[in-house]
Amino acid sequence: MKHWTETDFEQGLYGLKDRDAHLDECPECRGELERLTQERRRVAAQPEVSREFLEAQRRNIYRRLEEPRRNWVAWRWVISAAMLLALALGLTLQRSRPTAPAISDDQLFSDLSRMEQSAEPKAIQPLHSLFEE
Amino acid sequence: MGVMADRLEASLDGLADTREFGSWMVAEQKRIFLLCRRMLQDVEEADSATQDTFLKAWLALKRPESRDLDDPSKWVTRIAINTCLDRLRSRRWQFWRKRPHPDDEATVLSMAPSADPDAERQVMAREIVERLERALDKLSNRQRAAFTLRHYEDRSLAEIAGILDLHVGTVKVHLFRAVEKLREELHDLYFREGRK
Repeated sequence: MKHWTETDFEQGLYGLKDRDAHLDECPECRGELERLTQERRRVAAQPEVSREFLEAQRRNIYRRLEEPRRNWVAWRWVISAAMLLALALGLTLQRSRPTAPAISDDQLFSDLSRMEQSAEPKAIQPLHSLFEE
Repeated sequence: MGVMADRLEASLDGLADTREFGSWMVAEQKRIFLLCRRMLQDVEEADSATQDTFLKAWLALKRPESRDLDDPSKWVTRIAINTCLDRLRSRRWQFWRKRPHPDDEATVLSMAPSADPDAERQVMAREIVERLERALDKLSNRQRAAFTLRHYEDRSLAEIAGILDLHVGTVKVHLFRAVEKLREELHDLYFREGRK
């Protein structure tokens, strides 16, 4: 009869090896697995945590639970003021923006007529200045 | 705590279950803190992660759809694990982070008195337990989470899979690799007296 090895027990302890036929038949291995399981539970027992530390931690949690509300109350005025300021600034900039000079209808029709009669595109005209003395 | 709880209760209108939340938190706090400490290996960070966990739990409980929880303990464990995994992920960028000092731990934690009457054996067992906790550093984040939940919380593979939102097969792989990496420490823990 082949007993479970240390590796088998380790894997059995961590749920990586299922109970097999040998374990059902062998009280020695079954007992060893039970002993090791107890040992694991014993060594994994929770250490003591200082009561003062836990109380301070709870106070911090309660303080932080209240914080988001307080922060929001304070910040909502700041955010509103900032939005109003941005809006006012935007409007001021919009009004002070230089606009293109208005031209009369006569001027517009005369320009259009000149463009139509011209043999070359208007966009080429600036090139002429490169060759003028 | 009572005074703080009363103040909070008064300040949050319509949330009559503050006191209930407070007593549930007291019941779960130590376990969650130790879980965070094992995951993060740092008392200060574990303290902060525990606070974050209960804060997230509170906010989630305020949502009406979260009122009926099948297993609040498993649920808060899941929040804690995810909080720790997030912190471990962001740690990669924190090259300036100071290493935790063992003295910080000593003021907060102390081992529970063992039933073992043999003092020498007790000291030896404690050393191995501490070595195993330090060795958790060798594990990847997921391996550490799976191993911590199995070894310290005695959770089944199905429960671990539920908490980590993974398939049982994947949890098995993580645990298998964790046990492989911790082989030496586990061997000393279980077979140090030359048992089978």
